Amino acid sequence: MIKKKQEYGPIVTKKDLRKANYRWLMSVCTFNYQTQQGASVAYALSPILRKIYKNDDDYVKALNNHFQYYNTQPWLAAIILGATVAMEERQGLAAKDTVNDFKIGTMGPLAGIGDSLLMTMIPTIMGSIAAYMALDGNPFGILLWGVLIGIIFFLRMHCFEFGYHQGVKVVTQYGDKLNYLTTAASVLGITVVGSLVGSVITVTSPLKFTFGKVAMQIQPMLDKILPELIPVLLVFLAFKLLKSKKLSMTWVILLFILIAMFSAAFGILK
Amino acid sequence: MHFSVIQIVLLTILAFIKHVDYYGIPMLFVNYPVFWGLFTGILMGDVETGLLVGGTVQLMSLGVAGFGGSSVPDYGTTAIIATAFGTVLGKNAGLAIGLPVGMLGVQLDVVVKLLNGFVVKRAQQYANERKFKKMSAITWLGPLFFGLSAAIPVFISVTLGQSAVNFLLDSMPAWFMSGLTLAGKMLPAVGIAMLLNYMPTAKLLNYLLIGFFLAAFLKVPIIGAAIVGMALAYATYKREEKDSQIKGTSVIAANDSSIGEDE
Repeated sequence: MIKKKQEYGPIVTKKDLRKANYRWLMSVCTFNYQTQQGASVAYALSPILRKIYKNDDDYVKALNNHFQYYNTQPWLAAIILGATVAMEERQGLAAKDTVNDFKIGTMGPLAGIGDSLLMTMIPTIMGSIAAYMALDGNPFGILLWGVLIGIIFFLRMHCFEFGYHQGVKVVTQYGDKLNYLTTAASVLGITVVGSLVGSVITVTSPLKFTFGKVAMQIQPMLDKILPELIPVLLVFLAFKLLKSKKLSMTWVILLFILIAMFSAAFGILK
Repeated sequence: MHFSVIQIVLLTILAFIKHVDYYGIPMLFVNYPVFWGLFTGILMGDVETGLLVGGTVQLMSLGVAGFGGSSVPDYGTTAIIATAFGTVLGKNAGLAIGLPVGMLGVQLDVVVKLLNGFVVKRAQQYANERKFKKMSAITWLGPLFFGLSAAIPVFISVTLGQSAVNFLLDSMPAWFMSGLTLAGKMLPAVGIAMLLNYMPTAKLLNYLLIGFFLAAFLKVPIIGAAIVGMALAYATYKREEKDSQIKGTSVIAANDSSIGEDE
């Protein structure tokens, strides 16, 4: 790939995009049930929009356009918002509808990739590694995760510029590739989750039955059927409850705490 | 037990920073308990307890993440409170105090998001009134509210909590404490189930079985399972790419033949 000299338009400078990058850190901080991250988009873009629209009326129109409902994974959203800056710089308010369609159209796919890869896969894998090391009093896993967080943060701080130059192209040309990436990430994620089922939940049964002189322990019998049988059953129970949508996650957690109290009191599980 | 005034102030500030970070500024340690346990441990001068509590809460919270605006228990706050109390009372007693406060985080999260509804409405009003400075300024109420929604529970827990906590721990029956310990071991199941619900599990069930087999039968650590997962993911990526190319060329071929028929 030949590295081209990045060019900036007649109005927007590299400094403006950097600034927008920092202001977009507001992202989820204004989260509300009506427009979700909409107000943060307006907050992040307002200085650039002010430069593009000298006229107050146009500026207000552009702001109102960005105040609308918006919600996706905020790190990747920066690429999209950078691209909308390029559109509005060239076409002004004429690009209003295109900008909107582009923003709304990319919301779902970006949330799909971002939430599964960035917000689920990494915290699950790095979190379980860091946690196990921490339980042994070893902070190395946390350090390792911290380094990864640092690298991602560095990349995040360049997303507006990247989107400004490449955003539209990336989304339209590499849309398919992003889909494969999501599937591949899901494969990695599910494999790790499978291993979590077999290792993270350390619940066993201390139950013992005595028939006359013969005492029979339950756990060794369960282990012969399937190692980690109780964890599998617990995950299955939680999965079914969550899938039925009758209980929210909070209620499932409370239910599990109640089951734990009950099982501990009667010595069913430990 | 008593926390010093400085400790109370620092713990409250830490909780505030934690939640502002969680919601975006700058979104580094996204309420991951293992980090906030460590930070609290450093503040309290007891890194060991910080690691132990942080690791425990991290495992409890694996897979728990609020997407699309859903509210989830505040395990980061649990880690801060449990570490702070845990340095003196031990991990289990710390968790007994921290866990209920973390669960309360769900309600507080909803309250802040409702309040933010008024904030952003006002911000847009200012925009329409051309008071652009005020528009930007009022936006900062959002992170302030989120910060307070973690700082206030921590502040109350470590101040008012002191005598109340002692009373509470003395009056707690043995089954309650052992039940909480068991709950700590059981709760990862909910997070894992959440992940499975969220991911295309039915389509990729075979990989779930491979991962389970690695851990349960071969006792492979998670890093090992992740390496196998990466290999499988790479194969999947290549296969999907190839499949779509075949599909693409067959479409072109079909078009060619239809052109041929027209002639």
